[in-house]
Amino acid sequence: MARTERAERVALLGPASALMVLMLVAPLALLFRDSLNRYDATELMIAAVTPANYLRFLADPFYRDVLVTTIRVSVIVTAVCLLLGLPMAWRLARTVSRWKSALVVLMVLPLFVGSTTRTAGWMILFARGGMLDRLTGLNLMYAEPAVIAGIVAINLPFTVLTLQSVFEGIDPRLEEAAASMGAAPSRAFWRVVFPLAIPGITIAAVLCFILCMNAFATPLLLGGPRFHMMAPLLFWAFSSDNNWPFAAAIAFILMATTLLLTGFANHVIPRRYRG
Amino acid sequence: MREIGLPRRGLLGAATLLAAPALVRTAHAADQCVVGTWGGDYARLLRENIDDPILKPAGTEVVQDVGDESPRVSKMYAQKKLPRGTMDIACVGALNGYRVTEGELVEELDEKKVPNLKHVQSDLRMPAFVPHIYSAQVLVYNPDTVKQPPSTMSDLLDPKWQGKIGMVATTGSWILQAASLHESGTTTDFDKAKALMSKISANGLRLYPETDTLAPAFKSGEIEVGMIWLARSFMWRNAGFPVAGRFPTEGSILYVSGMVLPKNAPDKEAAYRYMNALLEPSAQQGFAAHMGYLPTVDNAPLSGAVGEQLAFPQPRPKLVAPDYPVLSKALPELNDWWLKNIQRG
Repeated sequence: MARTERAERVALLGPASALMVLMLVAPLALLFRDSLNRYDATELMIAAVTPANYLRFLADPFYRDVLVTTIRVSVIVTAVCLLLGLPMAWRLARTVSRWKSALVVLMVLPLFVGSTTRTAGWMILFARGGMLDRLTGLNLMYAEPAVIAGIVAINLPFTVLTLQSVFEGIDPRLEEAAASMGAAPSRAFWRVVFPLAIPGITIAAVLCFILCMNAFATPLLLGGPRFHMMAPLLFWAFSSDNNWPFAAAIAFILMATTLLLTGFANHVIPRRYRG
Repeated sequence: MREIGLPRRGLLGAATLLAAPALVRTAHAADQCVVGTWGGDYARLLRENIDDPILKPAGTEVVQDVGDESPRVSKMYAQKKLPRGTMDIACVGALNGYRVTEGELVEELDEKKVPNLKHVQSDLRMPAFVPHIYSAQVLVYNPDTVKQPPSTMSDLLDPKWQGKIGMVATTGSWILQAASLHESGTTTDFDKAKALMSKISANGLRLYPETDTLAPAFKSGEIEVGMIWLARSFMWRNAGFPVAGRFPTEGSILYVSGMVLPKNAPDKEAAYRYMNALLEPSAQQGFAAHMGYLPTVDNAPLSGAVGEQLAFPQPRPKLVAPDYPVLSKALPELNDWWLKNIQRG
């Protein structure tokens, strides 16, 4: 019987796991190997086992600054998305109306347009002589606030949709019970609903944070050439001189930093609130 | 358990059907030329001036493998050890043309198979690279607002241009060569070039992420002067942007774009036919008329409005090709310096 169960498990998990190894782990292993190679302008890449590419990044204040900027922007974007997304998702989850599905579609609608196209729209809005400039005299193009606004616009639907499903999973009768015992709606939310939603909010925040850490088109187009984040830097290392080893090292530093910070965020949440 | 039986004839038929596309493709591939190229206007003009009017009537089908130059060069290196690559021709700039030649990735060209090579201007020729089109780096300005345009790179240090100078971030190494030419008459005096660029940057240099983002900045009045390829100023002017070009008195750096033939190209004969076709006068004139790039051959004169717009002023400006061996070695350091000093926020 146990053997049958094990065979079933292998049959169910095996193909997906094999595909995962083939499509994700194998390329990552190859990329990691590349990151230990040496760059040469004529040969492109010379086989070696050297930490030089990682040390080049970590020893240089410019590259470290780029990593810090990426983390700062990601933290700000995540905070803004949670601040804006929490009330929207809460309202959406508790709406009992025939317009609810239309509201959800409205929320998803921006995702139908590619992020580069949406960023082009922001460029028109922010540019000198653009709508914002003409109306307010503000020229936000090629500045950090423009990048933050652009990424928030992309990440917000993901955050709201994740949070909405979290709130919908919390039984509304809990709030009714709190109200019956005299709790005001805000107190019921913060004391009953919010603690129950923390694991889901963490997932939404992590999703938003990861998307932002890896943002490419928005920082490149709205931030301009003097604003640097990790994904455009990685592309620069590859495209300006075909430096695959250094670009691969940047990719792993970005991945490791994202994983570490995500793990840290999960660690600081009290154990009783974890999912 | 009962064995499932299939009639032998049915199996053979099914196998033939399955193999048919592969057989057809193999037969077809004999007349196919795969060209690794940039997309956009360049790919369209290749189709309109070379693929359809010259290669197609001769029975060669051209397939474009569209992408950026860096991935294309990487692909050539990745396929270096394969007996059969995926491209018959790769479009690259002259610097990468030099590098892949040094890396022994491409065939040295046989003039018997590319007869039009004899028309290529001697200063543009390289042993394994067919120069297709070229342009010169010029000072550009808004003719509506600038009455006395800059004539030399150091004119950009004039305080009257403060905050009104625009350049494209991805052209750093080319601008440094122009600065070097200004400072010492060679393209490789990078220390002096960096010093001049640092001063221009301090005069409120504005950087733009891509080449085509410079034109709207002229139109909006954000910038009034800058530096870019003559071909771009030609395209922008024809598209209604207020941009005019002027050759710097110290000389102009040349950008040359062309094609190479990978050693493991599946159909080298088709590649040679293609290379010869791209040097035909009609193809060269077609690129000049639409993109403003100059013909690399001596038998494709430009006439009419295009000829007037692209004619060199008299006395003829000094045109300087980069020193590719020196540039190739210096490029990683130049790019790094540009990123950390000029592109630093």
